[in-house]
Amino acid sequence: MSTEPTTEAGPGETEPATGTGPREHQGPDSGPELLPTATAKRTGAVLADGVRAAPRATALAVATVLAGSAAGLVAPWVLGSMVDDISAGAGPDAILRSAVLIAAAALVGGILVGLGAWQVSRVGETILARLRERVMERVLHMPAARLERVRIGDLLSRVGDDVAVVTTAIARNGPEVVTALAVVVLTTGGMTALDWRLGLAGLAAVPFYVWAVRWYMPRSGPYYARERIAMGERSHALMGALRGRGTVRAYRLEEEHEQRIADRSRTAMQLTLDVFRLFTRLGARMNGSEFVGLGAVLVVGFWLVRGDLATVGMVTAAALYFHRLFGPLGFLVMNFNDVQQAGASLARLAGVVDLPTARDPGAEEGPAGSSLRVEGVSHTYAPGAPKALDRVDLRVAPGERVALVGASGAGKTTLAAVVSGLRTPTSGTVYLGGTPLDELGEQRVREHVFLVSQETHVFAGTLLDDLRLARAGATAAEAEEALDAVDALDWVRALPEGTATVVGEGGHALTAEQAQHLALARLVLADPDLAVLDEATAEAGSSGARRLERAAVAATKGRTTLVVAHRLTQAQTADRVVVMDQGRIVEEGTHERLVADGGRYARLWRSWQG
Amino acid sequence: MTEAPAPEPVPATARELRSRTLRRHRGRVTLGVILLSLHQVCEALVPVAIGLTIDLAVSTGDVTALLWCVGGLALLFAVLASAYRFGARFTLDALEREAHLLRLESARRILHPRGERSGLRSGEVLAVATSDAEQAATYVRAWAVGIAQATGIVVTTVVLLTINIPLGLGVLLGVPLMLLLLRVPAARITRRTEAKQATAARATAMATDLVGGLRVLMGIGARHNAALRYREVSDRALTASVGAAATNGLYKGLVTATGALFLACVAGTAGWMALRGHLTVGELVIVVGLAQFLAEPVQVLGMVGQMFAIARASAQRLVRLLNAPDAVTPGNRTLPDAPHAVELRGVSHRTLDGVDLTVAPGELVGVLTTDPRDAESLVEVLAGRAEGAGGTTRIGGVPVSELDLTSLRATVLVEEHDSVLFEGTLRSNLVTTDGRHRDDTALLAALAAAAAQDLVTGHPRGLDRPVTDHAANLSGGQRQRVALARALVADPPVLVLHDPTTAVDAVTEEVIARGTAELRAGRAPLGATLVIAGSPALLARADRVVVLREGRVHALGTHAQLAEDDPHYREAVLR
Repeated sequence: MSTEPTTEAGPGETEPATGTGPREHQGPDSGPELLPTATAKRTGAVLADGVRAAPRATALAVATVLAGSAAGLVAPWVLGSMVDDISAGAGPDAILRSAVLIAAAALVGGILVGLGAWQVSRVGETILARLRERVMERVLHMPAARLERVRIGDLLSRVGDDVAVVTTAIARNGPEVVTALAVVVLTTGGMTALDWRLGLAGLAAVPFYVWAVRWYMPRSGPYYARERIAMGERSHALMGALRGRGTVRAYRLEEEHEQRIADRSRTAMQLTLDVFRLFTRLGARMNGSEFVGLGAVLVVGFWLVRGDLATVGMVTAAALYFHRLFGPLGFLVMNFNDVQQAGASLARLAGVVDLPTARDPGAEEGPAGSSLRVEGVSHTYAPGAPKALDRVDLRVAPGERVALVGASGAGKTTLAAVVSGLRTPTSGTVYLGGTPLDELGEQRVREHVFLVSQETHVFAGTLLDDLRLARAGATAAEAEEALDAVDALDWVRALPEGTATVVGEGGHALTAEQAQHLALARLVLADPDLAVLDEATAEAGSSGARRLERAAVAATKGRTTLVVAHRLTQAQTADRVVVMDQGRIVEEGTHERLVADGGRYARLWRSWQG
Repeated sequence: MTEAPAPEPVPATARELRSRTLRRHRGRVTLGVILLSLHQVCEALVPVAIGLTIDLAVSTGDVTALLWCVGGLALLFAVLASAYRFGARFTLDALEREAHLLRLESARRILHPRGERSGLRSGEVLAVATSDAEQAATYVRAWAVGIAQATGIVVTTVVLLTINIPLGLGVLLGVPLMLLLLRVPAARITRRTEAKQATAARATAMATDLVGGLRVLMGIGARHNAALRYREVSDRALTASVGAAATNGLYKGLVTATGALFLACVAGTAGWMALRGHLTVGELVIVVGLAQFLAEPVQVLGMVGQMFAIARASAQRLVRLLNAPDAVTPGNRTLPDAPHAVELRGVSHRTLDGVDLTVAPGELVGVLTTDPRDAESLVEVLAGRAEGAGGTTRIGGVPVSELDLTSLRATVLVEEHDSVLFEGTLRSNLVTTDGRHRDDTALLAALAAAAAQDLVTGHPRGLDRPVTDHAANLSGGQRQRVALARALVADPPVLVLHDPTTAVDAVTEEVIARGTAELRAGRAPLGATLVIAGSPALLARADRVVVLREGRVHALGTHAQLAEDDPHYREAVLR
């Protein structure tokens, strides 16, 4: 099980990376919200939507499975009549006829069962594929405001684990469950067709099965949940210690961690054993039900034969029918849990599908021009928390480059997020080209404002594919041009397969500096009106940071740009410097003037130069 | 209950590991095997019981016989149910306990201060303690299930041969032959299924990758493109799934048809024999029932072979780790509790080539390396991990290689660049072995020196704020500052810091440089501090700076002197 931290909190600096803000400021009571889970009814409706999309294929699949199961009924029936034939002293041709009949049913049954399994999988997989696509669509287009509130781990488990659970359930158990259900229904029908009293005798087992399941489910559910949690904690303790073994050794924490692993491992083990104990008791109850059914068929058959109401062959067939049910009934009960789990995951997926879509005003036209104006913007992350931004006013002329300077927690990153439209301020307005951001609508804002954040993410796939996220239709030549503009073409060409090299998770690992280069190349390709740069450069070392600074200047040349200056050299090259402290703008001017004025910035600059 | 370390030597081979497994759970394993075998026998007897009931009661109409038969059937099911219930429990008990013991044993080996040279990659080492420990324990299950199924087959054989020798032989040869034939397409299915799982996994991986970078996607306005890309991959996964389902359906049809055809042959032959008076009607039912039943144990026995193979592969990796040679061979000398100097004389290790370096008690020395590998090598030397390094490294006058590991680690703390925080609270992370007696004031002082007091003041639970696994709930800069504070709380006689401020901004870096230098200067008895970093703020606070270039000492002096005189230094440090 993976215990990777779910978010790659960028190699950032001391301020929380864009987006991780609320976690830092909220109290324990105002935890992030969970995404909704659909009700059983709603989940059913979402599934029904899928079925309705392909009604004929669904009907065909069900019919084939039923026909296949019906073919399976022939053998015990024929065996029963064979018993009667033998008792009646029929000739060898009767036996031959019976054998041929079983063989013919075998061939037809084989074909139908095979086709049925394929059809059921096809319908199920198609419904699932469309569902997961809808889920991803909703998640990807989640409004920024909501994204800030939900836990990224919750999102990841929906698009990852939940989809995987449902996929496995459909692929492995889907056809089996449908087939087992069909066998149970049809076999009971077959017994009834032999003699309704024999059918009734077999049905005597049903209440016992139901009772066994109803006894088991409410008891096992909470245990399974606790077991999963305990296993997760065990894995955290184990992986945490082992991954950090260097630190464990340096601080002589071996015993402490071993003890923690032992405790959690023992707890998880005990739960596994307890839950299995419950499971074996379910097994015993099922055996009891089997006995009741089989016994009833034989006893009723006995009296029917004695009363000349049925032949020995019919009773034989009925007993064989019931014996044949052990397998599918056991399968259904044992897999009830899997089916339930798949249902729970499905409900979580349906919950995402049902997320309300954002009302996007989607202005007809984009902003007029690329000037930026911030008017009276204040922001607090939670009621009562200190103000992250306090009545900030700022104007950036088209093509101007402004650097934000300040200590950790001064509000630079928050201002960058507000200007990018990723965070709605508590009060005040941000204008782009004279139009307020909320009037432009999220879609439009995203087309015109580009944020390079502290969070770097190299998307898995080829490097070219990564760049094409910023502009879908970009040609390889355009991509190389963009890379060249940020001085990244040399190292990209040196990669094993150039821009076709697979990078990101599971691919060629890029350094922090290369990942930032990539982010800047995306900026060049996207060619936005306003660029907001809040990237971290320190991890790249000082020479790397200088290269990145040059690349950033090249990428934003002639563009309206707001730079969060993590290094003061970034401020030095800006047209204007804005110094922030505790959410307020405290100094403003060109680098030279501020240094000459001998204020806060001048002090920072001196200490920076070392 | 079996927490104590294994009293016997570490098993040297997978076979030894397995026999130890059986030995230390012999009671449970024995009971499990006996009971599960009994369960299989009972399962085989169910069709026999049906046949007997038809023969003795249903065809005769004898009520007494019926009562006996139903009573017998009840007894059979009672034994069958209890045998499974307790047999499976004993087996799982043994398995889980073994997995627990192996998990702890491998974790202990991995965490051992002497380290290991198993040759396993880092990811593999983790996999040994997690999945391999569990897989190796499944040997218990393979063993118990294998014996039980074999017993079931033997009992079936005996019953069939008792009824009719030629028919029994036919069934016995026919079932395995049929399963063997079905194995041929099964291999193909496995391949297609694997291919299908791979594409499904790719779709899932892309989904989590895109969502993981969702904020970036949002910032660059690429969400629509991302959705299109996902749809493409999801579609490809669908095609592969449907393809695999077709193969699967084919196989399932084949199995159904073959099984039923085989049954037709058995039924035809047995019916013919019954007609000739060689079999009773009940015996006919028994033969047909057993022919159907036999397929299961034979099939499961086939899978047991696979279970053994998986358990063996895991056991081999476990044994390799458990028997791995130590990474270091420490001495046994201890150090008194006095101020200690660090002295390197002509040290060569990896990229280092005859380095001399001293840090006196009370001194703060900075080291600037132009090649990161020099820094790594120096860290290894100081942490006592540089086995076979040239020259001498002395702590408090004693060569590092002669020092006892506990004593060395209590004296020298190397806070490495990739040091991690653990799940718990801020306080539980700060208080380590050496910080047990530190009070809150000391913790807050260390946090202040690391410019991390805002983590406490900005959170309602202060020092008790939760820290998740790998401190994923803190930003990169916060993690780095807490790690530094932890080193300062430990307050070791010799502290080595490697790049402690790469994730913090310049203003904070300045605060940290001052705070750390002051805190270390105030240590009593005097402590030695070595900072390996490229940050001018940190180097400016050092009493001396040593510049390493190409593995050698290139320059010595104060930050100010070097910045003045040495152009290389200026290039490397100034921004």
